[in-house]
Amino acid sequence: MIQLKGITKSFGRQQVLKGIGLTVEKGEVVVILGPSGSGKTTLLRCINYLEKPGGGEIRIGDCRVDCRAASKKDIRELRKRTAMVFQQYNLFRHKTALENVMEGLVVVQKVPKEEARARSVQLLEKVGLGAKLDAYPSQLSGGQQQRVGIARALALNPEVILFDEPTSALDPELVGEVLAVIRKIAKEGITMIIVTHEMGFAQDVANHVIFMDEGVVVEEGRPNEIFTSPKEERTKQFLKRFTPEGVYSI
Amino acid sequence: MEQPFDIGYVFHFIPKLLSTLGTTLSIVAGSLLLGLAVGLLAALPRLYRVPVLQRVSRLYVSFFRGTPILIQLFLLYFGLPELLKQAGADISKTPVIVFVILTYGLHAGASVCEMIRAAVTAVDRGQVEAAYAVGMTGYRAFTRIVFPQAIAIALPVFSNLLLALTKETSLAFTLGVMEMTGKAQSLTTLTQHFLEAYLALALVYFAVCFTMEKLLLRAERRLLKHERQESEARKRFRSWKKLQWRRYSPEFPPGGRRQGYEA
Ligand SMILES: Nc1ncnc2c1ncn2[C@@H]1O[C@H](COP(=O)(O)OP(=O)(O)OP(=O)(O)O)[C@@H](O)[C@H]1O
Ligand SMILES: [Mg+2]
Repeated sequence: MIQLKGITKSFGRQQVLKGIGLTVEKGEVVVILGPSGSGKTTLLRCINYLEKPGGGEIRIGDCRVDCRAASKKDIRELRKRTAMVFQQYNLFRHKTALENVMEGLVVVQKVPKEEARARSVQLLEKVGLGAKLDAYPSQLSGGQQQRVGIARALALNPEVILFDEPTSALDPELVGEVLAVIRKIAKEGITMIIVTHEMGFAQDVANHVIFMDEGVVVEEGRPNEIFTSPKEERTKQFLKRFTPEGVYSI
Repeated sequence: MEQPFDIGYVFHFIPKLLSTLGTTLSIVAGSLLLGLAVGLLAALPRLYRVPVLQRVSRLYVSFFRGTPILIQLFLLYFGLPELLKQAGADISKTPVIVFVILTYGLHAGASVCEMIRAAVTAVDRGQVEAAYAVGMTGYRAFTRIVFPQAIAIALPVFSNLLLALTKETSLAFTLGVMEMTGKAQSLTTLTQHFLEAYLALALVYFAVCFTMEKLLLRAERRLLKHERQESEARKRFRSWKKLQWRRYSPEFPPGGRRQGYEA
């Protein structure tokens, strides 16, 4: 179980997160929605300490970290329990698809090489890249790179995978393949927190939806509650932009 | 008295010059090692913004990049013994080549520092973040992810640096070191065949630099194998060709043709 309490974060004078609290049960898929600049990315990055929160508490499984007094060890423990899929994929450029997936297993978790390889091959096959084991990121399409990114995250066997707009850097025709992979692993009961602007996908993959704006959680609930009968005015305004008519009227 | 040109002397001089190639290469190797060590030490405080040390590093770099190597040679050769004499150490018996290697080492170190800084900064920030997200420590992220990529980026610059260094060592003759240029000088005084001696010298330097360049180019290709995708220029050329093909070929893609008939 993941629990955030009162997470705050400021960049200079600007307070980006104003005390975020949320709870994610094991096996749950939580989707975070919100307008640009509302702090979604920052929140995800606070969970694995790529960004140092100003205050609050992060709890992942048996690891509990007070953000005001986090030690290096605390940070490492948080990172061991999380994995991240980045908007820009961020695959290790000098390593092949297979090496990308193996890297964390071998270097961080000290899994024997042969075992790590076998597990990585299996994961790459699962995301449909069994034929691209030895390709470098520069030889893969965006969609393929992101699927390697997902395999790399899965390999670490984390308590939660954080997705930051996994498809928004992709050409439209490649979005489907990545969403399909995420849907597939969601069904396997892996805990995930997903930031996305793909509303259709959000609606059918999420168990729980959180709507954020200006650094606070405005509204949260089950997907059909949020999508069909939002209570807050800001949520309504935001969702209106994503109704089918809205999509085509650029 | 200057002698008339005789190509035979060129071939006669080459083996004589090659006998001092070892000295030239020792100066290059010695100062390169020193330069890499000093350059890395100078780069770290700049990369990690260590308060006082980064100023020292900046001063060092701007001095050695901003003054001619010849002056640096003289300053160290004449200045260092003076300075150490004040401190009570006598280094008047130290071989000249030590001063030469020291000077070229510090000189190369300044460029190495800039090279490392540029290369490390050029590695995408996302790479480190991905390494952290996977659970690596800062040290691991640097040695396993950033550094290998930085080396690949730096290699072309390093290649230039090494060639420049090799050529610059020719100035060591001014302090009386018997490296290749010094040898060529002594050959001219001995035989009065100036042109032949310098022609032979140019050929030897060229051969040495050419070999180095080819070897480094090969290393570069190996290290950059992960970036071996189509270059931008090539891609543009290909799409241009496709365009030409579309325009002039009588065969249209099947979809287009059917539409054409229906219309
Ligand atoms: N490193 C940073 N330095 C300064 N300000 C930052 C930094 N990162 C983010 N911000 C600011 O914090 C705010 C929230 O940014 P964040 O990236 O979390 O938004 P977001 O909800 O992910 O938006 P988007 O949907 O566009 O990705 C923005 O106003 C942004 O300008
Ligand atoms: Mg974002």
